[in-house]
Amino acid sequence: MAARATVTRRAVLGTALVGGAGVAAARILGAGPVDATAAEPTTEPLADSAALVSGVDWISPLGDERSRIAHLLRRTTLGYTAEELETAAADGYERTVDRILETPAAEPPPLAGADEASQEQPLRPDRLQTWWVDWMLRSPTPFAEAMTLFWHGHFTSEYRKVGVASPFMYWQNRTWREFALADLRTMLYQVTVDPAMLVYLDLAQSSGRNPNENYARELMELYAMGSGTFTEDDVQAASKALAGWRAPFTDAMRAALIARAEELGRTLPRAIPPADAVKAGVFVPQRAYRGPAFGFLGVTKTWDTEAVIDRILEQDSVAPFVAGKVLRRFVGPSVDDATIGRAAARFRASGYDVRSLMRDVLRSPEFIADASYRNLVRSPIELMVNAAKALNAPALSRLIVTSSPGFGHVLFDPPSVGGWTDGAGWVSSNGMLGRINFATVAVQQTRSLPSSADAAALYLDSTVGPQTAAILNTETEDRRRWIAVLSSPEAQLK
Amino acid sequence: MNNVGINKISRREFLRSGFVFGAGQAGLSAGYAAVPDVFTRAVYAAKKDGVVNDRVLVMIQLAGGNDGLQTVVPLQDPAYRDVRPQLSAAADTALPIGDQWGLAKELPGIKSLWDQGKVGIVQGVGYPDPSQSHFDSIRVWETGDPTRREIDGWLGRTISKNYDTAGHPLVGCACGATGVPGALRDLEATLTVIRDQQSFKFVGGEEMERAAGALYTSTPGIYGALFDTAVATARDSVAQLRTAASQYVPKATYSDSVQLAIPTRNQLASALQLAAELIVTGTGVKILHLTLGGFDTHYTQQARHESLLAYVDSAVSAFYQDISAHGMADRVLVATWSEFGRRPRENASAGTDHGTSAPLFLIGDPAMGGMFGDAPGLTKLDRQGNVGYTVDFRSVYQSILEQHLGVDPREVLSETFEPLALIREPVAGQPGPLLALAR
Repeated sequence: MAARATVTRRAVLGTALVGGAGVAAARILGAGPVDATAAEPTTEPLADSAALVSGVDWISPLGDERSRIAHLLRRTTLGYTAEELETAAADGYERTVDRILETPAAEPPPLAGADEASQEQPLRPDRLQTWWVDWMLRSPTPFAEAMTLFWHGHFTSEYRKVGVASPFMYWQNRTWREFALADLRTMLYQVTVDPAMLVYLDLAQSSGRNPNENYARELMELYAMGSGTFTEDDVQAASKALAGWRAPFTDAMRAALIARAEELGRTLPRAIPPADAVKAGVFVPQRAYRGPAFGFLGVTKTWDTEAVIDRILEQDSVAPFVAGKVLRRFVGPSVDDATIGRAAARFRASGYDVRSLMRDVLRSPEFIADASYRNLVRSPIELMVNAAKALNAPALSRLIVTSSPGFGHVLFDPPSVGGWTDGAGWVSSNGMLGRINFATVAVQQTRSLPSSADAAALYLDSTVGPQTAAILNTETEDRRRWIAVLSSPEAQLK
Repeated sequence: MNNVGINKISRREFLRSGFVFGAGQAGLSAGYAAVPDVFTRAVYAAKKDGVVNDRVLVMIQLAGGNDGLQTVVPLQDPAYRDVRPQLSAAADTALPIGDQWGLAKELPGIKSLWDQGKVGIVQGVGYPDPSQSHFDSIRVWETGDPTRREIDGWLGRTISKNYDTAGHPLVGCACGATGVPGALRDLEATLTVIRDQQSFKFVGGEEMERAAGALYTSTPGIYGALFDTAVATARDSVAQLRTAASQYVPKATYSDSVQLAIPTRNQLASALQLAAELIVTGTGVKILHLTLGGFDTHYTQQARHESLLAYVDSAVSAFYQDISAHGMADRVLVATWSEFGRRPRENASAGTDHGTSAPLFLIGDPAMGGMFGDAPGLTKLDRQGNVGYTVDFRSVYQSILEQHLGVDPREVLSETFEPLALIREPVAGQPGPLLALAR
C-alpha cells in the first residue's frame, strides 16, 4: 500500500529543524519507499463515536519472527541497539526468551563514593540517576534493568524522604536488581528490611509499643494483596507484628556524625552505636512487640516479620494481584481476568517464582497475539533509553536525566508511594510535547549519527502509518529522518 | 488487509475497561493517576453551550492527607492536649480566629484574608465509611463518589457538561503537573497540562510544531486519537500561552525558594503564577487544578507540616495579591482539598497516621468568610481512633458548583446534599458561548 498522505517535505520538516546551513542532504542508501501499513478504515462503525478513534489499527507484523523478536525486546528491555536485535534475530524467539531469563543480571559498576555517603558527603540524586541511566544504556543484560525499573515502580522509595546522607537509595537499586527474578517471599522480606524502605515508609520508626502503620498498610495494599482485601484491624495488627527494625549505620555515617558534633562543639552522645556490618535493617528485639498473641488476617498467634509475610502469601489475593500487574505491564492494558487467573495459578503453584511467571508471560500466546501489537505506551524512561540506544549515543544519559522531570518520570523520585502511572496515563499535552522535544534535542546533540536508512525497519518494524511514511519517503537528510522516526507515534508504542 | 479485532473497541470502552484506574485491585498509580487529558474534540460540536459568568475556580490538592488539627488548631480543647502531647504546642502560637480556634502560625497571609472576611473554613469534611488508603480516598474525592463506581473526575464532568472545550483546551488546566489529575479527567473534555511555562514550547520551533501536527494526524491504533488530540492540544495551548505571556506582568512576588523539611517536587508558587497568568490574560480558563505533595506526615511531623503550611500561605497570598492587583479577585475562588485528615492521637514517631475528616479552606473575594460545619469532637473516636465527619465533602462541591460556577450540580453529583452558603454572591448561570467571558 502506498503512502496516502500528501504532505510536502517543506511543510513537514522545515529548515528550522537543523541549526546552521551547510548540512549535506545525503541521499540515504537503502531508504526505499516505506509502506504505510495501517489497515484500511474499518467498515463497522464504532459503538461510541466514530470520531473518537482514527478507525484504523496497525497491521500486526507479529506473524513474522523477526518482528516478534523486536516486540519481545521492546517489552523486556528498555530499548535495543541494532546489534542486540541482530543477535536476538540470529538466536530466534525461543532461545532469546531463554537467554533473557537465564542470563544472570550484570552488576553495574560501583558508583564512586556511594557506599560512603553521609551527611558530610551526600549522594547527589543526579549522580545516582545518571549512574543508573548509564547502566541502562550499556548493560549487557538489559532485561535486568527493565525488571529493576519495574520493581522500582512497585516497591518504590524516593530520595526526598529517604535522604541523601546515606547509601540507602543506591543499595536499594542494587538489591532490587539482585532479587528481580527471585520468589515473592524472598522479595517481600528483602523489601521489608531494605534500609531505604525502612526510612521511606517509617518502619524504622515503628515500635511494638507505638506502631507506625505506614509500611504495614502499603505492604498489603500496594505490594502484595491489593486494596479492599484486608481490614483496618489487619493494618494495626501487621504494624505491631512488623515493629522492631531500624536502619543500619555505616562507618561513614558514624564518622560524619562525630565530625558534625565536634564542628558544632557539642558533646558526643555517650554511646554512639558502632557501625553495622550489614546493608540491611537491624532487628532490635527491645523495640518489637512483646505482648500477648493477637489476630492478623484471621489467625491469632505470636507474630514476627517472616510470619507476617508467610500469612500474606497464604491469601488468595496475592497471586492475581502481582500477576495482574505484570501482565498489564508486559502484555497489554486490558488483559482479561481469565488470563490473569491462569497466570496467577501457575505463579502460586511455582512458589511465587517470578522467573517462572515471566517465562509464562513471554511464552504466552497473548504476548505475541496480533491484538498485543503496539497496545502499550512506552514510559518516558523507556522512550528516552531506546532513543539513545538507537542513536548509539550513550552520552545522552545526561539529557535523559535532565529531561525526566518534565515527564514526571524521575528515577528514585516517584510521584507517590504507588509509583508511576502507566500506559495512557503518560499521554497528555505536556507529555507528548516533551516526547517530541526530547527526540529533537537528542538528535541535535548526537554528533556521529548512525545512518537512518534502516531506522524504520529496525525500530518501527517497517510498520508505519501514512503520515510517518510520507515523511520517511520524502525526507532524505539523516538528522530529520531520525527526528521523525523517534518522535513518530509508532516510536511511542511498544 | 487483516484488521485486528482490537480496533473495534471504542475508545470509551477501552478507557472504561479499568486500566486507567489501575484495574481496581491493582489500584496502583490510580489515586494520583495521571490519565489522558485529551479526547478527540470533534465530539464537542454537539455539546450544549457553556455557562456565561466570569467565575474561576482554583483547586489546590494537599496530597498525602493534611493534618486538620495542626492547620485549624483547637485552642481550648483539653482533649487535643491529651491526644497530642507534643504537637499540641501549636495551640500556644496559633493565630486566633475567635475563641475556640486558631490558624497555624505559619498561615499569617490566610489569617489576614480571614480578617477581611475572605476565608471560609468548613470543619469536619469527610464521607461515610471512609477509606484510609491514599489511593482509594483520593479517588473518592476526585470523582466525588464514595461508592467508587465513577471514573471521571468531578471537575472533568463539570467541564464536559457545561463548557465547550473544542479548540479551547485551557478551559480546564492542570498547572505544574506532568499528567492529568484525576479530578480533572473526563472522557469528553479536552484539557491542558502545563508543568512549566518556560519549557512548554516546541524546541524545534514552528517547523517542528507543524511537523508534529502532520505526524500526529489520523494515527492508527487504540492510542491514535489520544496521541493526536494531545499533540493538537499542545499546539493550541502553546500558541495561546505565547500570547498570554506577552500580556502578563506579575504584580506580586512568587517564590518557590522555600525551606521545606523534605523538598517537594511541586512548584506551587510557579504553578499559581501560571494560573494567575491564564486568568488575567483572558484565556477563557474556568477550572484550574494544582497539587502540593508531602502531607503524609507519619514521622517527625512538626517541621515538615509547618514548612508546608508556610509554603501554601506564601504562594496563595502572592496569588491573591496578584489577581487582586489585576482587578480579578472578585471572580476567583481558591479551594483546598486533601484525601483525609490525620488520626487525632500522635504516634510514637512524633507523627500522625491516616485519619478521616478534616477542615478545608475556601479563599478569595467570592468566599463567604467564617466557619462552617462542626468539628467532630476528639473524645468520641472510632475503633481505629479516628473522628467521624459532620459535613459531606459533596456538600462543599455542590455549593461551589451552584453558587460559584453557576452550574447545575445535579449534572455532576449523583445526589443532592445539604447546601452551605459558602459563596458571598451566588451567580446564576446562563447558557451562552463560553468565550464571551474572555476579555
